[in-house]
Amino acid sequence: MEESPSAARMPLRNRLQGVLIRHESLRGFLLLAPALVILGITVAVPFLLMSAMSLWTQIGFDYADDWSLRNYTAILTEPLYTTLLLRSLTMAMVATFVTVVLVYPMAYFLAFHVHSNKLIWLIIITLPFWTSYLLRVFAWRVILGYEGVINSGLMELGLIGEPLQFLLYSRVAVIITLAHAWAAFAFLPIYVSLEKIDKSMLEASADLGEPPVMRFFRVILPLSMPGVIAGTFLMFIPTVGDYVTPTLVGGPDAAMIGNLIQLQFGTINNWPMGAALAITMILSITLVGLFFMALMHGLRRWAR
Amino acid sequence: MKIPQMISAAKRGTLSRRAFTQSLLAVGIVPVISQVAPQRARASGTRHATVFTWGGFDVPELYQDYVEKHGDLPDFAIFGAPEDGLTRLRSGFAADLIHPCMGDIPRWRSTGLFQPIDTSRLSNWPDVIPTLYQAPHNLDDADGGVWQVPFDWGQTSITYRTDLYDLEGEESWDILWDERYAGRIGMLASGDDAWWCAAIKAGVSFDQIHTDEAFEAIAAVLRAQRPLVRTYTDDTSSLNQALAAGEMVAAMTWNSSAVELTFEEVPVRFAQPKEGALTWVCGFMMTQNAPSPDSAYDVLDALLSVSAGEFLTGDYGYGHSNARVLELFDDEELAALTLSRDPADILDAGHRSIPQPPEWSARMNTLYEQIKAGF
Repeated sequence: MEESPSAARMPLRNRLQGVLIRHESLRGFLLLAPALVILGITVAVPFLLMSAMSLWTQIGFDYADDWSLRNYTAILTEPLYTTLLLRSLTMAMVATFVTVVLVYPMAYFLAFHVHSNKLIWLIIITLPFWTSYLLRVFAWRVILGYEGVINSGLMELGLIGEPLQFLLYSRVAVIITLAHAWAAFAFLPIYVSLEKIDKSMLEASADLGEPPVMRFFRVILPLSMPGVIAGTFLMFIPTVGDYVTPTLVGGPDAAMIGNLIQLQFGTINNWPMGAALAITMILSITLVGLFFMALMHGLRRWAR
Repeated sequence: MKIPQMISAAKRGTLSRRAFTQSLLAVGIVPVISQVAPQRARASGTRHATVFTWGGFDVPELYQDYVEKHGDLPDFAIFGAPEDGLTRLRSGFAADLIHPCMGDIPRWRSTGLFQPIDTSRLSNWPDVIPTLYQAPHNLDDADGGVWQVPFDWGQTSITYRTDLYDLEGEESWDILWDERYAGRIGMLASGDDAWWCAAIKAGVSFDQIHTDEAFEAIAAVLRAQRPLVRTYTDDTSSLNQALAAGEMVAAMTWNSSAVELTFEEVPVRFAQPKEGALTWVCGFMMTQNAPSPDSAYDVLDALLSVSAGEFLTGDYGYGHSNARVLELFDDEELAALTLSRDPADILDAGHRSIPQPPEWSARMNTLYEQIKAGF
């Protein structure tokens, strides 16, 4: 602190500059400040309000702030809530898995086998995502419907005598629609991580006598894992809580937790219960996410 | 040429070239006018009322008098079920008018979100059929106004395909519980209709509907029906399309589904079940903090006009609250629409829901959602 007398004589601007140069973390926080403020207002505060509300009780059009865990006990004990929660997690997992498996070859092709006009290819592949989410879901209604493209095509070919009923209003329909509607979110991170792979690594592995299949499993796949993990999360997290798709293409057996949460805030008019369900959903997504990360970590260590 | 007629003419291939050109012209004019009209309305300084209503009630035909006065349609917001609308109002959404049904009034009033409507400001009020608004919970004791201006009335019943559904004996609610047609039955997702209809099917008297035994009996009936149901929805156009395609043979609907499908020449009938249908009267309530009450009164007056009523009854098949509308239709036409010259004939022949406290609504809706989800 010998420098403090001279620092006091320095103009304020220079002193601030000095502080900024010396403390790197402060610089980081200042750069992050706008994002942190928005995050605080739009995520942290609502989350705290919702946590508080989930401990209340609805009475008519009012709430009693009696701070009880009643809503959470109901969620854990009543089969309706646990079933819908587990069903949502399973359906989102299946949809995510299907999507990642399907978009990986696309991303692979684009990263390694397309050499000119990549932008055009990217635009063509992501073209469906230039339309509204709702339109894409409705498009699937047209494709899967009773008089839809698939049914009328199969009828025309004489393969079926009567339209297939299970196509629309079923869990299959919800999974197909989710897999298509969110595909871009899985595709882009996988593509970016594949694109980043240094091509000389592939040459090196070929030079060392690795057959192409082993090269994929030992070089390309591990190097693209960050993209696969990012894509999985980007798709899994929002699809668990999706309620538009099950509303439009899911029948009575395909209702998801998002539908129930929406009903609690609407028709059923039990906001504390809706808040408790939303918090439970967030927590279970976090748990599944942590489990997935641990699994990936374990796999990586095992592979070494 | 009315739109449903035009569509059916196009389907038959009998749409003349002239009519087709006319419709093209109309389609072309609307976007051009719609660019100019709002500017004119803004110039005249009126602030449009916001009408929060069901899908299908946002059509210009119902607001002709308002458009003449203000140069443009009021603003609209659409809900799937009125209960959702109330939730949005409670969370701060600013609308002037909202469209619930008679049985909701006491419960909705208890939120303190609404104000009574001064009927002396409505030029069409003297023509409104008194039986539709003279319920004790609807009349405002203080200034003689009403809480809800009645607008539409009709029935919740069954629309079934006369060619696909093999009716045995009389029409009855059993149609929607017919195991021969498992997976081809459609149901309304809103408990405000489904629960009461199930009560009729279960033989529960409406004045007993609050009892635990009633809850059990109605839930049992709905649970038994669930495996037969293709889907639960409040979107009438989904139900109409499914009925037209033969995906469903019967569905719980309001009057309009049968009328619209008949326009499209789909062989359907709006059943008159022997146990009685569920009958209802719906109308508009004004919010306490209505942003533009003057425009809202003009909307109400336009809705009560004869021209609006002619469209509502002729094209949608709903009864209208203006007595002079009924004079435009002969007995045969009214019977075909399952309406009557005196609304009381239809309303009292069926069952009318009885206002219930919020706790009942919450319990009923929770239970109905559980049943729909399979529990």
